[in-house]
Amino acid sequence: MTDASSQDPIVQDFLVESEELLQGMDQDMVSLESAPQDGELLNRIFRAMHTIKGTAGFLGFDPVVRLSHRAEDVLNALRRGESQLDRRCMDALLIARDQLGVMLNDIRQGGLKEYKLDSLLAELDEAKIPRTTKPTLGELLVKDQVISAGTLTELLAEQAASPDKPRLGQLVVEKGLSTPAQVGEALVRQKEIAESIPTSPTLRVAARKLDELINLVGELVLERNRLMQLSRDCSAGRISSNDLDSALGQSSARLSFITDELQSAGLKTRMVPIETVFRRFPRMVRDVTHSLQKDAQLVIRGEDTELDKTMVELIGDPLVHLVRNSLDHGIEAPDVREKAGKPRSGTIRLEARQEGDQIVISISDDGAGLNPDRIGRKAVEKGLTTPERLRVLTTREILDFVFLPGFSTAEKISDLSGRGVGLDVVRTNLKKLNGSVALDSQFGKGTTVELRLPLTLAILPVLMVRVAQETYALPLRSVLETAQVNLRHLHLVEGCEVLCLRDETLPLIRLEQLFEGANSPRGNQDEPSNKVVILGVAEKRAALLVDQLLGQESTVVKPLGNYLHNCSSLAGATISGDGRVRLVLDPAGLLAASQNNSPAARKASA
Amino acid sequence: MEQSANTVSNTSPPKLSPQNQSRGDLLQLVGFHVGGEEFGLDILRVQEIIRLQPLTRVPNSPDSLDGVMNLRGKIIPVIGLRKRFGLELAPPDKQNRIVVVEIKDTVLGFIVDSVSEVLRIPAETVEPPPQLGKVRQEYVSGVGKLDDRLLILLDVDRLMSGDELIEVTPAQS
Repeated sequence: MTDASSQDPIVQDFLVESEELLQGMDQDMVSLESAPQDGELLNRIFRAMHTIKGTAGFLGFDPVVRLSHRAEDVLNALRRGESQLDRRCMDALLIARDQLGVMLNDIRQGGLKEYKLDSLLAELDEAKIPRTTKPTLGELLVKDQVISAGTLTELLAEQAASPDKPRLGQLVVEKGLSTPAQVGEALVRQKEIAESIPTSPTLRVAARKLDELINLVGELVLERNRLMQLSRDCSAGRISSNDLDSALGQSSARLSFITDELQSAGLKTRMVPIETVFRRFPRMVRDVTHSLQKDAQLVIRGEDTELDKTMVELIGDPLVHLVRNSLDHGIEAPDVREKAGKPRSGTIRLEARQEGDQIVISISDDGAGLNPDRIGRKAVEKGLTTPERLRVLTTREILDFVFLPGFSTAEKISDLSGRGVGLDVVRTNLKKLNGSVALDSQFGKGTTVELRLPLTLAILPVLMVRVAQETYALPLRSVLETAQVNLRHLHLVEGCEVLCLRDETLPLIRLEQLFEGANSPRGNQDEPSNKVVILGVAEKRAALLVDQLLGQESTVVKPLGNYLHNCSSLAGATISGDGRVRLVLDPAGLLAASQNNSPAARKASA
Repeated sequence: MEQSANTVSNTSPPKLSPQNQSRGDLLQLVGFHVGGEEFGLDILRVQEIIRLQPLTRVPNSPDSLDGVMNLRGKIIPVIGLRKRFGLELAPPDKQNRIVVVEIKDTVLGFIVDSVSEVLRIPAETVEPPPQLGKVRQEYVSGVGKLDDRLLILLDVDRLMSGDELIEVTPAQS
């Protein structure tokens, strides 16, 4: 279709004006990140987008119109408080802005090209999806520019400090900041928005995944019919006991297979490619390297690796923190790099891959790496360890200290990181997802951080064991082996019980010692336990003493909620085949807890 | 006059239709006994009442938590009301029941000595609670009289207030 020629003075004007608007938009969007409620910013950006759309429409630049129109919708929803400015929304808007810049440039150079806008448009549509929580009155008042964000903070503080907790609307009117009518209006809008909130968030699913689900359900129906027939035959006495036995066996085997497939297919519908998270990094790296005056390239691999949607949402922030860490503390300034014989431009490699039943995401840089000596010293300074213990720790164990809360060896706390609050939060967040994070580094060469996540949130193969009259589940992934022990192989080393297995000395874990008052005293038992499960987490190993090994199961793990926070040795709970709730032990927590409980550790921290 | 004690003890919850709602003048309560006293809970807040089930103890959990149980695939915390009210504990009894309620988006169960019946008392007979001593003032929303029985009315949402089990988030205005 013909659009106006780039020589036309009207087009020239449009280009100049729009490019100015885009520049302003860029700055405003960056400001918006730190002040997402600022009504004035939102309005400005909205008006800019609206103007671009209008003029582009007049001049017949269809792709520009399409894109700016969708972006305008998102901005409109934001400024009306109908949707929330979250990470995804921000990213979509930034990418849209960049894309518009590309389009304008193309017009300048001779004409618009073909653009593949579908995924971006879809992203914008999703970003516009109304929020899932009711906006607070304060939020709406700030958006309407009735009060400023600063005033809101003051008012909220006043409200909290006051004994009779006046309502925010009241305070605002009392202080003459607004009229009862305005507040009333905002309250009405709040109610409208609250009522329009859909009761559950939505998801985009590839049609073929749903087809597979429906297929499997069909198989399930067939198997159900067979079972019903079997039942009828059985009641009517039409089937011999042998035949029943084999038919039942066949049916349950088939049912087991179908259920597994169904479970897997069901979970897959919630999986999205990690590309949705990785997408924002190129820009982020560009911006940060620019502001830090460093030079770095971002290499992304494995962006089509899929993981569960919830995990994708939760893993965004930790990844951002880690990449920022790399840029801030890892990659050195170009001059420093040159002196060290490295290329002036550093490389950050962001990679996702599947390893067995885990997704591994790694962030590696060829920067300065971590100095174990400095970390060790800092750890001693902060009282996290003693010089004696430091001597026996491996490099990886020393590096692990950086994950402790409040730990930061950054001499200067920069804007981006080095506040010492990040890495422990990353580890906690990963743990919530049943994942883990580990660090490896070579001083002077670079650092690699590896995040590990289970492929699916829910299903976990476990080993069921019986300890002190209670049944527990152990994630199979951390079970290295099981063994029968001879009590003569138990020894006491520095007050800690250890087991000698082949050539190795492993710390022995007795559950009753970790769990206060959970179980009746073992004294009642006739036979002392003589079986152990060898657990392994990263490089640490230990032997858990058990009474009985009950077998393997593939179960669904459910979180236990608030009442679990006190016990780091538990990962959740599951419902076993007999309908009872069984606690799932967390091997990493068990190992850590047993280390802390050892007399040596207690002595060291005294 | 004989009172038939209808023990409500099905394992599938009766669906409460809108028509069952407590009318302004008549309060509908589920009555139960704990430690010799009789209590009442708004019937609309009671999800179901089930027999005592095997509980799984959770190590290092808050004192009030007796354990967790499987409620049709959902794992819910179970709290013994005797313990919560600071009364002396008693061995489990066939009459014991678990009253399942939902407080602030958490489903949980309370162990009671026994459940009496669904009671209907006129709202006017409810008086503000006197100093009760054994049971903390917070949970009690009032005292009702039915014939010559004294009924302590409990406020469901306040039953777990101040407990780490449920995070109490301030309401947003």
